[in-house]
Amino acid sequence: MPVITAYPEIRVDSTPFVVKSAPDAVDPATDTLTDHELMIAVRDGDLGALGELFERHHGPLYGFLVKLTNQRTAAEDIAQTVFQRMLKYRHTYRDDGSFTAWMYHLGRRCAADHFRKHNAAPAATDPASLQDHADDAPHAGDRAATRDDHALLHSALGRLDRDDREVLLLSRFQELSFAEIAAILECSVGAAKVRAHRALRELRDTYFRLQKEKPSLS
Amino acid sequence: MNCTEAQEKFADLLDGRLPEGGTADVRAHLASCPDCQRQYSSLAQTLAALDALPAAKPGPGLRKNFYAMLEEEKNSAASVAAAAARHRQAHRAVLWRWILAPLGAGALALGGFFAGTRYAPAPAMDAATKQEIASLRQRVDSVGQLVGMSLLQQRSTSERLQTVLATVDQKNPDQRMISNLIGALALDPSTNVRLSALDALYPHADQAFVRSGVLATLPREQNPLVQVAMIDFLVAARDREAVPELEKIVRNETIDRVVRDAARRGLAQL
Ligand SMILES: [Zn+2]
Repeated sequence: MPVITAYPEIRVDSTPFVVKSAPDAVDPATDTLTDHELMIAVRDGDLGALGELFERHHGPLYGFLVKLTNQRTAAEDIAQTVFQRMLKYRHTYRDDGSFTAWMYHLGRRCAADHFRKHNAAPAATDPASLQDHADDAPHAGDRAATRDDHALLHSALGRLDRDDREVLLLSRFQELSFAEIAAILECSVGAAKVRAHRALRELRDTYFRLQKEKPSLS
Repeated sequence: MNCTEAQEKFADLLDGRLPEGGTADVRAHLASCPDCQRQYSSLAQTLAALDALPAAKPGPGLRKNFYAMLEEEKNSAASVAAAAARHRQAHRAVLWRWILAPLGAGALALGGFFAGTRYAPAPAMDAATKQEIASLRQRVDSVGQLVGMSLLQQRSTSERLQTVLATVDQKNPDQRMISNLIGALALDPSTNVRLSALDALYPHADQAFVRSGVLATLPREQNPLVQVAMIDFLVAARDREAVPELEKIVRNETIDRVVRDAARRGLAQL
């Protein structure tokens, strides 16, 4: 019978074994990642990646919401809520998702919630509140006329049903395909196109009528 | 193409994203129909005006609020993760204690423990805990097998050592064999066998099950040599969950100075 008097030397350093350690925090320059990749990172726990998405998208989202609601304060509140919900519902973001479509989908929902909560429809147009919009008319002399034109269009937009306004504004974002718009509105592609065009005709009619009614606005 | 048909195509014509292929006949109609021209140009004009609306710029509050909200969420996500980790650790430690505690009472008690009365009524458990206990019970069975083989049958130390060492040569020892090694580490009266068992566990230190087994065994161990070896094992495996136990050892002045020094060194590395 073998008698072992010495226990094997414990070779802490040389014993080969692999301890699965957390991968080194990879932090590639976030500006090389697509929106989709960033949102997947957020979903998987890298919450900081939402900062880059905010920087890329809060401007257009806010612009959309201002046109949709005709209220700057409400648009800021709603935009804030959209990013809040992105965090809260980050686990529902899908591998085959489109970030922009998801963002406008949330934007639309948040706007609806906002108005339900505040028990108010989007404000009827108040052209005066829009006078402080920057405008890019190159000649000072054109500015007043251009501003009036913007105010008229805002006014016409404000008279559309919110659904019409929504689909029309979404259809003017070149980054969204009609397939994405259909997904946002939860309808078919064909229906989205028809609704967008019908909304455009509505807007056109109102816009031209207002132009005739208020020729002396300037 | 008549006017109605033409006007139905206006949407495609106005949408820059659509291919121009199907729009040739509309263009042809437009060229010859002043009425449709008016319709079309008013729509195009409206769209141009819509696109020309200046984009409103948000105030500074939006960005400020966003980053405040993001920070808050980061903190709460981190604290939720930490709480979950603490919970898992406490949970595992409790289960192991529950499994191992009766084992120290001696060979006879062990016999009884494994013969039938081993499973004390457990406290109220959720389904996940029940499942975890069921799987641990299987492991206890294999620990019991080792105990039956070694302690109760009075086999010699060298034979038990051979049994343990035999597992070292196995490329992929199964879960039961690993449980046997943890059982040997926890129960074998021979220092040599316990140290060899620990040595044999090194290749499996990446398994949380193995680390928590070693960690649960550490407070039971009386021999400073084995204690130091266990501490080295946990530190080499980078097991942060060992921190509270190591802190306890550092504070406990009844424990051998060599062991407390090893724990202090280990804490510095974790
Ligand atoms: Zn015609």
